Formats: sequence, structure tokens, C-alpha cells
Amino acid sequence: MQKKLILYLSYILFFSVQACNADQWPALRATNSAQGSIVYNGEFPLQEWHYIYKSGRRYKQGLAVWASPALAVVAGHPMAFIGGYDQTMHALDLVTKKAVWRKICNAEIGSAPVVGSINGFDVVFWGANDRSVYAFSAFDGKKLWTRELIEPSTTLGQVEVTSPYLTGTRLYISCFAYDKSLSRNEQSGLLFCLDKHTGKILWRIKAGSGFLSAPVGFVIDGAQYVAVAARRGLVQCFSVSGDRPEKVWEFQMPHEVLGSPAVTMETNPPMMYLGSKYGNLIAIDAVTGTEVWQRMAGNWIDNTACVGMLDGKPAVFVGSHDYRVYAFDAQTGKELWNRALGGEIYSAPSFFNIFDKPYVAVASLDNHLYVLDAKSGAVQTSYFTGQPIWDKVTKGETTWGSPVTISAGSNTVLIHGSFNDVVYTLPLTGECSLTAMARSVGSLWWSLLTVFVVFTGIVLPVCILIPLKKSN
Amino acid sequence: METWLDKIENLLASLFANIKLVEKGLLGLEGSYVELLTVLALGMLAVIPIFVPRNNRQIWRHVNQLFGLAIFVFVVFTCLGVFGMIRNFYRGLHEIGRENIIALYYCSVPVTILVTSMLFGPAFCGWICPTGALQEFVASLTRKWTKVHKKMGYSFSPPILIFAIFAALVFLLWMYRLSVTRLFFIEDASIYWSQVLIILLFVLAFRMREWDLKLRRLRILSFLIIAFGAVMSMRITSPVHFGFAKVYDPASFLATVMVALAALAIPMVWCRYLCPWRCVIAWAGKNSVRYIDFDESKCISCSKCTQVCDLDAVVNGKIDIHECHMCFKCVDTCPENCFSVRDDWSRSCKKS
Repeated sequence: MQKKLILYLSYILFFSVQACNADQWPALRATNSAQGSIVYNGEFPLQEWHYIYKSGRRYKQGLAVWASPALAVVAGHPMAFIGGYDQTMHALDLVTKKAVWRKICNAEIGSAPVVGSINGFDVVFWGANDRSVYAFSAFDGKKLWTRELIEPSTTLGQVEVTSPYLTGTRLYISCFAYDKSLSRNEQSGLLFCLDKHTGKILWRIKAGSGFLSAPVGFVIDGAQYVAVAARRGLVQCFSVSGDRPEKVWEFQMPHEVLGSPAVTMETNPPMMYLGSKYGNLIAIDAVTGTEVWQRMAGNWIDNTACVGMLDGKPAVFVGSHDYRVYAFDAQTGKELWNRALGGEIYSAPSFFNIFDKPYVAVASLDNHLYVLDAKSGAVQTSYFTGQPIWDKVTKGETTWGSPVTISAGSNTVLIHGSFNDVVYTLPLTGECSLTAMARSVGSLWWSLLTVFVVFTGIVLPVCILIPLKKSN
Repeated sequence: METWLDKIENLLASLFANIKLVEKGLLGLEGSYVELLTVLALGMLAVIPIFVPRNNRQIWRHVNQLFGLAIFVFVVFTCLGVFGMIRNFYRGLHEIGRENIIALYYCSVPVTILVTSMLFGPAFCGWICPTGALQEFVASLTRKWTKVHKKMGYSFSPPILIFAIFAALVFLLWMYRLSVTRLFFIEDASIYWSQVLIILLFVLAFRMREWDLKLRRLRILSFLIIAFGAVMSMRITSPVHFGFAKVYDPASFLATVMVALAALAIPMVWCRYLCPWRCVIAWAGKNSVRYIDFDESKCISCSKCTQVCDLDAVVNGKIDIHECHMCFKCVDTCPENCFSVRDDWSRSCKKS
């Protein structure tokens, strides 16, 4: 009891100091530039942890992770929040390596939560496929509010609720619920605006007739904008400074879009980046909605790009199903480097710094996580994250979880909900049990030579020649 | 963390789960229909050799092999090649009692193979195995040519040497291409097995007649390496792995091409010298219910059985059960019907 009281007091004290705290993880990938990382300057060591949860519920045996985590420092402890197909939101304390709380929803959670601040308290917001948005205290999992976005109906089919986007007192979220009573073109992909304090729906607008991406926001000349991409490729930008949204521009991508836009204000003009299912990465002027440049990858780009700073210049990173990670100059679109990895890159990259050196982390379909030098694309390290438990994933129909990073110098860790039902916390600088043995081209040839020498010099004589001589 | 409502809900769920005893017993299989289908499909394929008539048995066998290939490619997710079977079996055994559903997932294929081998002999190798089927189908292209060498006992053969050089070049060029387009891992060990296969081709070009039987010991070494890797939780991919996994595995693909290429020169070369699973199947099928009986009194020493066996498992009617794949080629070829397939359910039987 005493311990709990002390914890509560320290929690209140902590937040009284940070009463004006901004949202820690306000968007799908932390910020509108989708870097997927936070900085932690605390002293608690972050260690390797493989989180597995078996709920014992009959309809689902464990945590099937398809969503990305959100990170926040809560009461001094870095925490990860991640939802799964076990319909549960898990709040994981990365210091104590314990699940602090879990909340069961009425449907799968396929999108990442966000972490915002209400009256100085950290709050986790997420959308579940039960057509609802949830707001729970990040510290202890106490419910603040839940809001049903779409009325229940017997004709409703598949539902997909995206990650929210937080700005000011508002929460933006997209939701698509397939209505079996309507034809395909009459379906509604809706963008909602909620009051983040109460969950009250302020407005909603139809932004497409199918699935929508998670919304992303940005401010230009003091005016707030929110952009959302429809699965069919129509990107729409709304001015949301007033009571009602006003469409500012729209842009039709050449193909389907699975990821969400990433925005940077470091370019002139501010730009938005979005990849298409058939491999186009397009930079769109965030002010006018016109194409600035376009680059082509060798295969699908089905997840969100991310923008990071390299030597003071913005660079956009994106992974493709052609096994490659690409880095482009965000302003001009000039290719800085590309690097082939072991499998299709299905994840959004996470951009972070360790001791001011920039890195990019991506997850690949060869069941490895890679950490690359963001300047050269050289592979720094890689981790084997296990075979999928159920190898029935279908490419190109959904986006899967992406890694996120806590940048903390020698304490830096990478958190990834792998599709083998495990949420991994992996130290990037110290020893890690999952470190894979990725090799350079040179070492590959050396290992082949070694096998040749060992086989012909040891195995063959010992197994064949000596026994043969003896038998003769 | 767990509220009292959760507790009540879980309690009620467990209470109701216990009422239906039959359902409770089957709960372990819930959500594992793919594995059930695997067990059923492989079991069925293993039983087919019992029923097919002697007439056109080899055609039936090839049809069975084609079905086996289709099942492994389109149904089985867990096999992941011959190496993966050993590794996953070890992992599945660990899960028994903790995660039975996962245990079933990983053990279903190896257990089916072992059980059917114990009953029907190593029929899996001759009738189902996709790697074996691949080699056999490929080798049929050069059967006439290899048959000549087989008669001579595979003494030094310049064509095999030239072929080995060609295979080595294909391997090296392909490796070079892969090395610059893809990141390699230690786990991509199938390339080492294919490298060894290439070296073996050179060895066999000079010393096949003398070293053939000795070289088959390499299978034990192969098994030990894989078993060691399984215990050490090392992930080692095998040839044909790419056929089972949705993940594109170019190293495994290259190894499969090498196996197929090598099989053009030496029939069933993978099964002869490198297949680690072969040791286990031979052990399981040592005292199988089903076996091939040889009536020496009828034998006219025509050596047709010796010639027809791709594995050199039959020498003048004597069958080496460590090598036999139960393909029944010898049975079907013998002009004097010296061979007969017998089922002996007596456990005391000891076959030579």
C-alpha cells in the first residue's frame, strides 16, 4: 500500500513539474515525420525483454501482433503500448519488464496507439476494430472515456479503425466500416474529429469510399491541416482550424496506398511523402497538393516513409518489397543510397540517433530486424525475430507492425511486435541474444572457403580415407 | 491488472469449457486445421502404397509423389525442408504440455513420417518426399546416360567431371550474384550443403565405385550438425525450404537447383550422401511391419534389380534396409517374381 502511495505521489509530482507536457507520441509513428522514436534521458537501464502473453481465452490463444507500438516516458519509466489480435491493449513497462495493465476491447487492435497529454497526465488513445476509440490513463490503465464512432448495425461487415492523430485539444481518427447493404461505391471511409478530453465527436467527414490511412497533421502559417490517404490512392488535405473541416487540396496517387503520409516542415515548401503499392514514392507539396518529385522502387512500398535529418538536411527513408531500403534527399528526391537486405521490407523505418549518429531500423520479411547507418545504408547489426507462428500472412493487403526506438545513448533499445506473437525489446548497443549473424560479401566467400577446406581436409579424410585404409 | 470482472469471465469460460468433455478433449486441435489436414494428407499418401495394384505401380508411385509435392507446397507450412523438420520437431517436443497446439504444429509432419515409416517402412522416401521426387523426376532426363555408367560401377568418368565443373561454375556465379544483391546470414546454411554436394561430384567422378558406401556416412554427420543446430536454437534453412515458406529464400532456392543438377549425374545424390532425415527414417523403418521378402531359390541372377535401383540398395536380391526407399522398383522389375511385399504384424520379426 505504502509503495503504491509513493508511486502515486511521485507520479503526481512528476506531472506537476511537467504539467505543460506536450503529447509524447501524438501520431502513428510518433511525429508527423514518422520517425518512430523518442529520446529518453533517464537513468533506468533498458534491458532485453521478450514479452509473450497468453490470455487463456478460448477464441484466441495469444497475442498476435500486427500493430506498431507507441512509446512514452510515464512516471519516469519508458513504456511501450501495443495492441494485438487478442483484442487487448498491453502497457509494458520497459524498466521493470512487466505488463503494467491490459485492456480488452471487443475486437482486434490492428493499429498503433498514440500517447497524448490531458491536464498533464499521459493518456493512451487507440482505435479498435469494434468501431471505438479508447482513452485510458497511461500510468494505471484507468478509463477516461470510450467513444463508438459508428452506430452498430446488422449489416456491418469488416471494420478498420486507424491510429489517431493528436493536436491541441483534438483527436483525429479514420474509420471504415463495410456496410453490406450498400454497393461498393456507396461505402464511407470517414475521418473523425473528437474532443480529446471527453471523446465527444466534433465532426466527421467522408474522405473516401474505402479504407483510409491514419491521419497526419501539420501546421502552416498558424493554420492546422490534417491529411488522410484513401486506400484507392486519393490523398486529401483538410484545413481543420475552424469548427468544420475544409478541403484544401487533393492528390491522386497512381496506385493503391497502404501506408500513411509522412510530413516534413524542413523542406521548402513543406512536403508530404507517400509510397504506393506499385513502388512510387511521391513527394507532394503540403501547401498546394502538387507533385514535387517522384521516385520508383523496384516493388511495393506498402508502409509509411519516415523523414530524418542527415547533416542538417532532411532525408526521406522508405522500405520496399524489392528487399531494399531507400534514402532520398527530401528536398530534391536525389537518391542518397539504397541497401538490399534479406527480404521484403514491410515495415516503416524508424529513425533515431545514438550519440548524435543517425540510424534507421527496419523489419524485413526474412524475419530479421536491421539497423542501418542512416548516412551510408551500411548494416550495423541485425536481429532474428522468429518465424511467424502462423505463416498465413498475405502480402499487400495490410500493413504489419514496424519497429520503434528509444534513443538513449548506450541504453538505446528497439521495440518490435513481431508476428511470431512476441513483443521484443532489444538493446542496440549491448549484448542481445537475438543478434543475427549478417555478413559482408567478403566474409561470405571466406566462409565458403572454410567449408571447402574443412570438408576436403578434415571430413573426407576422417570419414572416408582413414576407415578405407583400415578396412584394406 | 486483472479486474474482478475479468476473473468472473474467465471462471465462467473455464466452467463452460469443462462441461463439454468431448469438445474439451479436442480443444488442443482448435485452430489447427491445417496441421490436421497435413497429418491426414500425409497419412493417406503413406497408406496408398498398400492399396495400389502391382500393375502400373510405378505410375501410381509417381502420381503419389506429385500429390506429395503439391501437399508440401500448398498445405504444409511447418516442414520447412528436411533440416527444418528436425529442428521444429525438437522445438515441438519442448512445447508438449505447455503449448500443445504449437507442439502439434511442429510435430505433426515428423511424427506422421516416423509412424508411417515404422509401419510401412521408408515409403515416405520413395513415395512422398518432395526432395526425392524432384531428384527422381530430374534424373529421368538422363536415366539412359547414367544407366551406362551405373553398369560400369561409376569408375572415373570424364563426363561426370565436366558436369561437376559446370555445376561448380553455376554455383559460384549464382553465389556471386546473390552476394551482391542480398544480405546473407549464417542461417542460410543450405549453401554449404550445396557446396559440399558440388565437391562430392568431383570426388565421385574419380572414386565413386570405391567410396560410394563410405561417403554415405556423411548423412550421419549431416544429421548430427542439424541436431546440434536444433539444440543450440540455430536456424538452418535447407534445400526446398523456399517451397514451404512464404518468405523468399534465394539460398535455399540455389541449393535446390544444385540438388537437381547433381541428381542429373548421380541419381538420388542428396538421399545417398547428405540427407540427414534419411538416417532417422532408416532407423524407424528397420523393423517395420511392411517389408520386401526375397526368395533366393527363384533368383536367376539377372541383376535387373541391381540395375533398376537408383540407390544401389539391392545387390543380387539382397536389400540393404538402410538404403531402401521402398519404391518397389526391384519388386516390379524382377522377371521371376523373387520379391514379394509382405506385412508381418508380429513384433518379433527381424528382417535382414
